[in-house]
Amino acid sequence: MNRIEFMTELAALLQDVPEEERRDAMQFYNDYFDDAGEDKEGEVISELESPKKVAQKIKADLLGQQAERVYTETGCQDSRTDEKNMPAKREKPAKNQEYQYGGDMDNEEKQKPWSNNILKVILIIAIILVGAPIIIPCAVAIVLVVLACVVSLFAFFFAIVIGFAAIAIAGVVLVCAGIFTVIPEVAVGLALIGTGLILGVIGAIGTVAGVKLCIVVIPGICRGIVWIFSRPFHRRVVA
Amino acid sequence: MVFNTGAALLDAIVLAVVSRDKEGTYGYKITQDVRKAIEVSESTLYPVLRRLQKEDCLEVYDRQFDGRNRRYYKVTEKGTAQLRLYETEWKNYSSRINGLFEGGEFA
Repeated sequence: MNRIEFMTELAALLQDVPEEERRDAMQFYNDYFDDAGEDKEGEVISELESPKKVAQKIKADLLGQQAERVYTETGCQDSRTDEKNMPAKREKPAKNQEYQYGGDMDNEEKQKPWSNNILKVILIIAIILVGAPIIIPCAVAIVLVVLACVVSLFAFFFAIVIGFAAIAIAGVVLVCAGIFTVIPEVAVGLALIGTGLILGVIGAIGTVAGVKLCIVVIPGICRGIVWIFSRPFHRRVVA
Repeated sequence: MVFNTGAALLDAIVLAVVSRDKEGTYGYKITQDVRKAIEVSESTLYPVLRRLQKEDCLEVYDRQFDGRNRRYYKVTEKGTAQLRLYETEWKNYSSRINGLFEGGEFA
């Protein structure tokens, strides 16, 4: 892997972080390669291990910022949240402070996931009990609406093809009718043949174009439907 | 190394390294300087710098170098205050540990 491959992969892996974060990180590592120099390119890449690892660390830190770093040492956490309280706290006996801190950590760690789980189970049961009579018909309705949309989409494109085919057939019929009328009434017959030819050509072009359109659009619609239906599942995996 | 470097200590080391250059310094140099003191993988430093920047402990500016823009990091007033705090904390911490190792004054 060379520098360009590394940076490209890193950029791809950072697609889901905010634009500003991505740009900053890219600038940093770009500078980094520049400053290391071409001859150290391989060394830098092996030190950084892989774009995946670099991206992971960036993302882990972004997440960590949201959740305030609980795991850091007492002193530093205090200094982050309120610098002014710091000296006063430090005057406390060191032993007590650490004991207190340790206790708090344990409680938080033990209680939080537990109550969360119970809450989740209760919520799920409540949703099923209360929501079932509403959710099931709603879900059926949504599925039906989606189905109807899909069917009408197909029908729409099918109708375009059929419409143009009909125009083409009408053209052919007019030409035939024209040929028969040429003998008694030349002007009307020629006019009919002319109109028939024009319609025939428009119909033929339209039919071909319609079929082509269907060939392009229908796979697109299918992919769209698959995407719509797979989205909820993907989301659940991420969450 | 036997002891691992916690986030706070890493912050302190980075602040100390950056603060040695009054004019500010750049990512590659910071990484090299930090790695002279402690074992840390290269990919660890960027998130630290970025976080310190967001916490207004570091400020960045771009300067022309070799016909390209190079990003420089400089310690802010808040960063300096934070570094002083870390230094006092470290002195307390290490003297307690030293005391414990050498004779048990604090134990």
